[in-house]
Amino acid sequence: MNILELRDISMIYGTVKALQDINLTVQKGEWVALMGPSGSGKTTLMNIIGCMDKASRGSVVLDGVEFSQLNAKQLTAIRRDKIGLVFQQFHLVPYLTALENVMVAQYYHSMPDEQEAMAALERVGLAERARHLPSQLSGGEQQRVCIARALINYPMLILADEPTGNLDEANANIVLRLFQELHQEGHTIIMVTHDPDVGKLAERCIMLDHGKIVQHSNRYEGVAKACVNG
Amino acid sequence: MTKYTMYSKMIVHSLLRRRSRMFVALLAVAIGATVLSGLVTIYYDVPRQMGREFRSYGANLILIPAGDSQVVAETDVARATELLPQEQLVGIASYLYGRIKVNEQPIMVAGIHFQEVKKVSPFWQIRGNWPEEQAGDILIGAEVAELLKVEPGQSVTLAAGESERKAKVAGIVRTGGTEENYIFTDLPMLQQMLNKEGQVSVTQVSVMATEAELTTFTKTAGDKVPAVTPRLVKRVTQSEEMVLGKLQALVYLVTIVVLLLTLICVATTMMAVVAERRKEIGLKKALGAENRSIVLEFLGEGLMLGLLGGLLGTVLGFFFAQSVSVNVFGRMISFQPLIACMALIVSIMVTGVACLIPVKTATSVEPAIVLRGE
Repeated sequence: MNILELRDISMIYGTVKALQDINLTVQKGEWVALMGPSGSGKTTLMNIIGCMDKASRGSVVLDGVEFSQLNAKQLTAIRRDKIGLVFQQFHLVPYLTALENVMVAQYYHSMPDEQEAMAALERVGLAERARHLPSQLSGGEQQRVCIARALINYPMLILADEPTGNLDEANANIVLRLFQELHQEGHTIIMVTHDPDVGKLAERCIMLDHGKIVQHSNRYEGVAKACVNG
Repeated sequence: MTKYTMYSKMIVHSLLRRRSRMFVALLAVAIGATVLSGLVTIYYDVPRQMGREFRSYGANLILIPAGDSQVVAETDVARATELLPQEQLVGIASYLYGRIKVNEQPIMVAGIHFQEVKKVSPFWQIRGNWPEEQAGDILIGAEVAELLKVEPGQSVTLAAGESERKAKVAGIVRTGGTEENYIFTDLPMLQQMLNKEGQVSVTQVSVMATEAELTTFTKTAGDKVPAVTPRLVKRVTQSEEMVLGKLQALVYLVTIVVLLLTLICVATTMMAVVAERRKEIGLKKALGAENRSIVLEFLGEGLMLGLLGGLLGTVLGFFFAQSVSVNVFGRMISFQPLIACMALIVSIMVTGVACLIPVKTATSVEPAIVLRGE
């Protein structure tokens, strides 16, 4: 079952074509890696899928809802209800504790629930660090809080932008293990990454270059080759 | 946990855990509130304080006999002065004028209650002492003293008709005015000498009241006690009104300027706060916050700042006004709860208004900046 469908997506900034005629379909429970060099359009594509930018042309359909006709408020609602975001820079609210950072997402979505937020932190192994401020957490711990926050509202799609990009190997492995667990549980994940090893964990690997999909492969058809080449 | 609890938590933590930045904003509000509360307290207190000061320049109201009569009964004067606000009365000094012989020379004399004149005309300079009430001693005007060549402590002979008595000169009066041509005796003594018991020529009243209040009094007293004609001492009441008016206008102007400066200062600080929190705003929007939520959060922070800064400023403002009052007027002022409430409300409102532009800016932040890493 298709959960996301991109049809002829183009993004043009003045004379710069950041994305050109992107077509992509993502199925429920799939893990897709978006790869490519800097400036290839990965983040622009993530912004469009995450309802944070509108494509200049083409259509995006998420869970049967087409984005192009939606206004900013409706796009915010889609982002809040259907998408969980994980950022490379973690982006936690600095004056709120780990627990409160998870509850912020609940607050904007519906109703804060401390027990549920604590359960989400337990799931990422941070129950004991729940009352700590982001400045008191390591990078890996911050990213795990970010993942707990992304999951708290049961999103239909998890968008992760270089989630291990700022982590050392040990922490990166912890985070990737979490993503593997999420994938096994049936979560749909789209992950931007530069790391071929991370790309290999995905079911499908999409290579972008100069705003175009240059390679599209899956694990069983030589994803390793595509990702390693990237 | 309710949404409201989470909202409060976010606001309070934002203020408490970002102390250094918020301290600057708090300081801006507190200083504004201090000056505002202090100035309004002074604005309110200036007429009271200055009114007291003006009372040292003499009476602002006189009561004279109605019609062609030369004297009026003391009982009528008492009935008229009872109509004045008693707590604002500084003094009531009645005068009975006449002409008697002093050491065989005809001199103008005024019978007075010395202690009352001391209150109404504190500017009288006495060489020697004020006479004790009913002791029979007198005061002599400087001109008369020179004419009679008498000094404090010497005695003079007072004669009116058949009545003659010796009186000791307690002091010599200098005022720079007509008082220097008079001698002043105890009122009952002169009434007895002139056979005018219970009668006075004029009564000087010193009362802390505005010109409008005094005008109202003159009408009421004139109606209720027809034997007495009350008149304002225009040169005193009008100068008082003019000086007070100008002082109050000045304080009013400074208050407006301070309010504007506070507005600009808080707005600038909040703009800086918004600018440095663009990522946080972007993040919250990326997490699904609507513009309304962002506006409510920043407005909440601003209003909380206004409340805290207002509270701090109101307390400091009272001490500021107290210090001004003690140093300028030499008197303490009392705490005015109404002014404190007003300063607090104005602080919150000014901070709220100052937050409007920054808050509007906050809603224009794009959530995409979070992913772009800008």
